Amino acid sequence: MKENFNVIGRPIIRQDGKAKVTGQAKFADDYKVPGMLYGVMVRTKSAHAIIKNIDYKEIINDKNIVAILDASCVPGEKITGLVRKDQPIFAFEKIVTPGDVVAMLVGESEDILRKLTGRVKIELEELPILADPEKALDEDAPLIHPEFKSNLIVHYPLRKGDVEKGFAESEFVIEQTYTTPHVEHAYIEPECVLAIPLGEKGIHIIGSIQNPFTARRIVAGVINYPLNKVFIEQAELGGSFGGKDDLMCILSARAALAALKTSRPVKIKYTREESILESYKRHPYIMHYKVGFNRDGRIKSMKIDILADGGAYASMSPFVTWRSVVQATGPYEIENVWTDVRAVYTNNPYTGAMRGFGSPQIVFAQESLMDEIAIFLGMTPDDIRRVNGYKNGSITASGQILKNHDVNVLTVLNKACETTNFRKKWIENQKHQNRKIPTIEFQEDLLKNKLIISEKEFIEPEDTWKQGIGLAVSFRGTSLGAEGTDAAAAYLSLQVDGTAYLLCGLAENGQGMRTTFSIIVSEILGIPLEMIHYLDMNTAYIPDSGPTVASRSTLMGGGAVKNAAEILRQRLSQFLKNYWNLSAIDEIEFVNGRVFAKNKNLEMYLSELCSLAYKNSICLASIGWYPAPNVHWEESTGRGDAYFTYVYGCQVAEVRVNITTGEVYVDKITAVHDAGKIINLLGAQGQVYGGVTMGVGYGVFEELDKYNGFPRELNFDQYLIPTSKDVGEIVPIFVEGNEVVGPWGAKSLGEPTLELTAAAINNAIRNATGERYFNLPINLEEVLLKRKLRPEDLKRGSL
Amino acid sequence: MIPELEYKKPKTLNAALKFLNQNAKAKVLAGGTDIIPGFHIESKRFIDIKTLVDIKEIPELRKIVEKKDSIEVGAAVTFAEICEHPVIRKYVPLLADAASMLGSLQIRNRATIAGNFVNNAPCADSVPPLLVYDAKIQIQSEKRISEISLQKFLLQPYKTALKKGEIVTKIIIPKPPEDFRGLFYKLGRRRAVAISRISLALLISLENGLIKELKIGSGAVTPIGMRLYDVEKYAKGKIASRETFRELAIMLGQKVLGITGLRWSSVYKLPVIQNLFYQLLSKLVEYEKN
Amino acid sequence: MRKIKIQFKLNHNDIVVETFPNRRLLDLLRDDLNLTGTKEGCGIGECGACTILINNKAVNSCLILAPEVDGKEVLTVEGLSSNGQLTTLQENFLKYGAIQCGFCTPGMVLSAHALLIKNSQPIEDEIKDAIAGNLCRCTGYKQIIEAIKATVKS
Repeated sequence: MKENFNVIGRPIIRQDGKAKVTGQAKFADDYKVPGMLYGVMVRTKSAHAIIKNIDYKEIINDKNIVAILDASCVPGEKITGLVRKDQPIFAFEKIVTPGDVVAMLVGESEDILRKLTGRVKIELEELPILADPEKALDEDAPLIHPEFKSNLIVHYPLRKGDVEKGFAESEFVIEQTYTTPHVEHAYIEPECVLAIPLGEKGIHIIGSIQNPFTARRIVAGVINYPLNKVFIEQAELGGSFGGKDDLMCILSARAALAALKTSRPVKIKYTREESILESYKRHPYIMHYKVGFNRDGRIKSMKIDILADGGAYASMSPFVTWRSVVQATGPYEIENVWTDVRAVYTNNPYTGAMRGFGSPQIVFAQESLMDEIAIFLGMTPDDIRRVNGYKNGSITASGQILKNHDVNVLTVLNKACETTNFRKKWIENQKHQNRKIPTIEFQEDLLKNKLIISEKEFIEPEDTWKQGIGLAVSFRGTSLGAEGTDAAAAYLSLQVDGTAYLLCGLAENGQGMRTTFSIIVSEILGIPLEMIHYLDMNTAYIPDSGPTVASRSTLMGGGAVKNAAEILRQRLSQFLKNYWNLSAIDEIEFVNGRVFAKNKNLEMYLSELCSLAYKNSICLASIGWYPAPNVHWEESTGRGDAYFTYVYGCQVAEVRVNITTGEVYVDKITAVHDAGKIINLLGAQGQVYGGVTMGVGYGVFEELDKYNGFPRELNFDQYLIPTSKDVGEIVPIFVEGNEVVGPWGAKSLGEPTLELTAAAINNAIRNATGERYFNLPINLEEVLLKRKLRPEDLKRGSL
Repeated sequence: MIPELEYKKPKTLNAALKFLNQNAKAKVLAGGTDIIPGFHIESKRFIDIKTLVDIKEIPELRKIVEKKDSIEVGAAVTFAEICEHPVIRKYVPLLADAASMLGSLQIRNRATIAGNFVNNAPCADSVPPLLVYDAKIQIQSEKRISEISLQKFLLQPYKTALKKGEIVTKIIIPKPPEDFRGLFYKLGRRRAVAISRISLALLISLENGLIKELKIGSGAVTPIGMRLYDVEKYAKGKIASRETFRELAIMLGQKVLGITGLRWSSVYKLPVIQNLFYQLLSKLVEYEKN
Repeated sequence: MRKIKIQFKLNHNDIVVETFPNRRLLDLLRDDLNLTGTKEGCGIGECGACTILINNKAVNSCLILAPEVDGKEVLTVEGLSSNGQLTTLQENFLKYGAIQCGFCTPGMVLSAHALLIKNSQPIEDEIKDAIAGNLCRCTGYKQIIEAIKATVKS
């Protein structure tokens, strides 16, 4: 695994950096074309209702309106969806969430159109609101989508061994329930898309689109065009984190419909309030764990029941919950496992892909539980993981044998503990006698609460801050797993002057992927990075490579890029071998814009080689293709090789808790990740800093609260994400385990960095205060009262 | 969105007051950090406005002047200017502290002191310090000029004693006696750019181990910023000990509960403010002793 | 509503524009003057993506009406570098990996630029304070702070 690399693993300046730091990089709203119109959405103030009538008569003759679009204007699929078709482009039968759009007004002035939306008269028959996912499967629960006859979106079972027998044979049995909230992606760039009609050639759509090929499929279906007439171009994306998928497909379709109807370019640009109102969120989970174990720490049996709030539309619920069913036990070898994960419809904001994709929730639960088991047995948190953690050859809950790569659970754990001096600090903190946090007993009948404290209950200022350390470990299956077709393409075209064009089907979300891919080409062909031009992403110019999700860009996209570069290297080497009369092509080296024959005094510029090869009719372009190794999944039993390989991570959190106010301050997170080979070092470090910071938000203060299906926080004054002052030190450490797949063994990093932090923080809080928390976020009220407080109505939640 | 309106930028106070008097639908524009977001969310506080009168070019509204016994802060002085000004930091440091914690730097570079309390939003951070400093405000209209204590000016949430045609022109803060020590405390849900959930300004002077005078300004936890005179009165002459502080904290809790009544946030805020008050006072006095 | 004339200095050049008084400075810059480097993230002055400098002070351009800049000096991200030459601060943003999606970057760089104009030797806490009003969801701020620190040293 340790090779001498010229470019790989070094700190490389991002290729798109200069354009971004000078403000020249063009994001979706930066595009303006002549004749451009705006599309503005018409919504209702209902969370659940039947649409009786839509009346435009008050505005139909308004000179500011160029067109009005609703479901009646859709020539193709009126109802779409990434997995299950339940989401209309324009709502026409029912409203199932306040984000639903009934119509779109198109005209020249956005401001005037927004004023006019209020004059569309929509007659509704209100329906009872289903806001509690635990009631979704009751006999009398309102059906969100009656055509499916049930509010159950999906159920994944997993059966290994015999859990009841396992419990019977265990010395101890513990049960716990954990919950997590709705969370908003909060990309700083709100959604925006521009559709430009091209007449006979089709339609050109440029926008903040995370998954161009998915968008193309959805748009083509809605406007009834063949795939090759729909050109989806990705503008510079201002963050996505999984959040610009479904909604962007729908917005692209709406814009396309309007562009075709008016024969003019149409832009849709969301305000932050619209973005939060209509975009999907992370699934809230209610997780019930029952675990049986022995005094040596060995876990014998685990029964897991998870309920995911899928909200108004299925979206990615089937895939998010599938990942959870595969990974819910954590990286621990357990003989008997029964897992059931269900996702249900409610009238809450719909939920879909968000960085982590079903893992941050379960890691929070399972890692908190592991710590509880350790404390119960008088063991340290690291030791309990050593007893149960996966090793090479371990068998997962779905029966997969972990092989072909270094199963580095214990390596990352040991590294993290050693770097932070974990054990000593943890034991030291556990010993503190009066560190127990005086939590407040909450009475449902508000009047019964003891609001005035007594003399004895005062906390001395010297005693108010408590310190704690905690850890969490995880494993994560790479790429899509058994979710779908998993392959990626790349296009590389050398020019006779030694410069190159590069494009991969996986799209840049901001994570630095274009640079990573350029590094790979540079390493293989020796082309200096500044001579590689990364092309703009357009679905016409590269084969469908699936969505840019699951932290698969480096692994799958990089695999395709490596393939494309190796094809050319092979071709050019073959030519050069003959030209220079060498005995083998591996005598040839490509470094820094030149090619050399080792041990012979032969060299030339790469540009010369390209020129020569071209003159000899050698093709200087290639398409690389990287299909994932086979995986499989048996739906009814949850057995199978779910993912073709895994990554491992351990994070240690060091926190301070103010037991008077409930403030939790994260002083330091040490993040040890085995993501395989690190190709783009600055990018990888950035993923750790960014993922951990998002994880701190998830653990300590982020929550999209709702009231009867309506999101309470609609902008950044109320939905709070971490600022520069909210996180302390973050230390990224990379362990590069041996791996057979991916470019030089590079695997996944983007999501593992986020999924661990909240769990590590919860365990650190336990160490600091002696109190265990079960409900994210662990905010001020949760720390002191072990619950959230909410206004009785839709008032601002953050006060 | 921002409604159609006219924009005026008078160069003198008289011109501004004359215009405001003659135009009922004119509103003062200072920092814009309240009114522009208000337009964005179509707040009921900002409807039917036809003209914005930008007062930032009126010289006397932008000055900080040190007088012999007081400090005068122009209504349109920004929070960035306030937290950096040597006179503010020297004589009324609690105001500088509150100013430095308000919003973000971008907001502080625009938001003005009068703009902060003239809308009387419950969590205006400048209010608790101004209250404990016994600040007065000067109000002018075309026809009259008057002074009123800040406490009397603040009536109810989002309502002040300001009448049509009137502008706050300056804040007059008497220089506190030298033996006062104080602090400003703010609790938000995150460490920066956060709305206050609890804010407290404290000033205390001691004599021979006894509390000579205690001033308490509460914000965010009461519906409007206010002084807690009953607790202050009780504290006078008591021994400055932790035992006394606990007693005062309990009394404070009871007073606040009496003012707010039982609210959804009371179960958290009341116990917390009692403990905080106790801790802050203990640290403040002990600091003073050292 | 009548248009009004506004005269100000923009990126070191004197300009005169005519626009409606209720126009946000952000929209004047982005739409009328085609300077799309300044971004809109929230519209209420919370995210800082619209940060520009007025008389060397960082402000949210989404909260400022166009007529308010009459007679002032405005600096946007486009005005930082001249003839393609980046400032040291911008070079360090590249060198330290302080940019991911890039949407917060213009505002972030301007906040840092304003800080260094005022205080050439800020400590880490002062740096964090200066950028606390610039939200970033991608980078976790660490590399941004490193880039600013490196600029201080040089």
